[in-house]
Amino acid sequence: MATGGVNPEQPIEDLLRELAPQVLGALMRRHGQFDACEDAVQEALLAASQQWPTEGVPNRPRSWLLTVASRSLVDQWRSESARRRREETAAALESAGRDLAADPQGAADRDDTLGLLFLCCHPSLSPASQLALTLRAVGGLTTTEIAAAFLVPEATMARRISRAKQVIRSAGARFELPPESDWAGRLGVVLHVLYLVFNEGYTTSSGPGLHRADLTAEAIRLTRLLHCLLPGEGEVAGLLALMLLTDARRAARTDAGGSIVPLAEQRRELWDAPRIAEGLALVTRTLGAVPLGPYQVQAAIAAVHDEAPTAEETDWPQILALYEVLAQVAPGPMITLSRAVAQAMVHGPKAGLALLGTLDGDERMAHTHRLEAVRAHLLELAGETIAARESYLRAARMTASLPEQRYLARRAAHLRPAALPTNPAG
Amino acid sequence: MKYMIMMFGGLAETLESRTPEWITSMHEFMMKLDGELKQSGEVVASHGLVDPSQAKTVRFQGGVPVPTDGPFAEIKESLAGYWIVEATEDRAIEIASRVVAFIEYPMEVRRIMDESPEQGQPE
Repeated sequence: MATGGVNPEQPIEDLLRELAPQVLGALMRRHGQFDACEDAVQEALLAASQQWPTEGVPNRPRSWLLTVASRSLVDQWRSESARRRREETAAALESAGRDLAADPQGAADRDDTLGLLFLCCHPSLSPASQLALTLRAVGGLTTTEIAAAFLVPEATMARRISRAKQVIRSAGARFELPPESDWAGRLGVVLHVLYLVFNEGYTTSSGPGLHRADLTAEAIRLTRLLHCLLPGEGEVAGLLALMLLTDARRAARTDAGGSIVPLAEQRRELWDAPRIAEGLALVTRTLGAVPLGPYQVQAAIAAVHDEAPTAEETDWPQILALYEVLAQVAPGPMITLSRAVAQAMVHGPKAGLALLGTLDGDERMAHTHRLEAVRAHLLELAGETIAARESYLRAARMTASLPEQRYLARRAAHLRPAALPTNPAG
Repeated sequence: MKYMIMMFGGLAETLESRTPEWITSMHEFMMKLDGELKQSGEVVASHGLVDPSQAKTVRFQGGVPVPTDGPFAEIKESLAGYWIVEATEDRAIEIASRVVAFIEYPMEVRRIMDESPEQGQPE
């Protein structure tokens, strides 16, 4: 966990991101007012990123940031000259800022960071806003960086963030840890937000969106932080393990041209062994814990894949058993889809196709290409070339992902009957 | 000046009759071009759209807007994707020509209207 002390080895950017939620938490404990404090912390981070590289990192960087942020809050309040009691407030703030800066390391840092996470992942916000706010307030990223990561114009992201802060204010959301009765639900939202940040980075880390890989790293960093704060929460450990075990395959997931390489065809020597080892250790430590949650089970499945030296040596019966557990813990059509693949690998493609058939007509599958993509794959395994090709092409028309569309079209092309003409009229 | 370079048709349908090798090289070509244009700072925006078969069209029928499945234009005339580039018309045509030479499908190049009054207008 962060100490706030100076480590000469640590890049300034990392140090700032680590301190950002602590400084914001300390300010908010004193003043509430999420939006004003958040703006003040961003200003302090900006000042630090400009001054520290040339002037050196101050001895107590956390206090430095707190002082600058408090001063910025004072300026903000002073400029709102119409406000009643502004002088008293400013005076109170100034002394508060001094107190805060003098406080070397609040024991409350842990709860502050948690409180911030819960606030940014407040249920009254849309998922897009939860992501943006979490990355800014807890992750310490600038609006510019967040906008670049989500491929939207900076002005759009700035509005999304300020709107999110308004929603939080009008919803009367508080900077505090949720009561025990809400705990599981609220933590579930936080984990889901971190999972979405990870996926946003992971699923688009090929092709033109290369810089989005940063989002995966940021999701892992924040989940690791959460795991340090809540080491006893099995699902937090499970999510961290799932991210590590999935991200470990990143280098093998796309070829030199940026095309998708399916798991069975990946060059496993490209997998990140230390990441796998860390993920496996987490899974082993948490799997015995009760209650078992969906992230832990998914991490266990990823672990079985990662442990197989070759695709042929994958322990499919084990994976099928885990998917059956997952279907109990978190039933849903996407789980059925994955279970059908495991079923096919254990009991043959026909058995997998039969399970897939139970999803036909399921409204929730109407807008995703995944059902057709999996069906195509199983039909191909069953040797039903013509039907497989049709399914691949249907899936290619339905997907919203360019790399997946190319992958599916290429699979279809492999099954092309020789009699077809090769070039359409332009 | 900004130009929009437009691509038409359903990509899935276009790819249906191609060999896997052609699809791979098309993918590489597009990535390379996209990277070049981003590197040179000419691209303002570029996006591909999902297959036109997934489109919904909202029509005014019987005095009310009615959404229906399917694209507005014929599939082969539907917008498939676009680049917006900051460039001269010649340069925009040059970029489009490189793509057309590869995919053998037509593309349209059209200037984007300015938000401000034209320069040199009589007062």
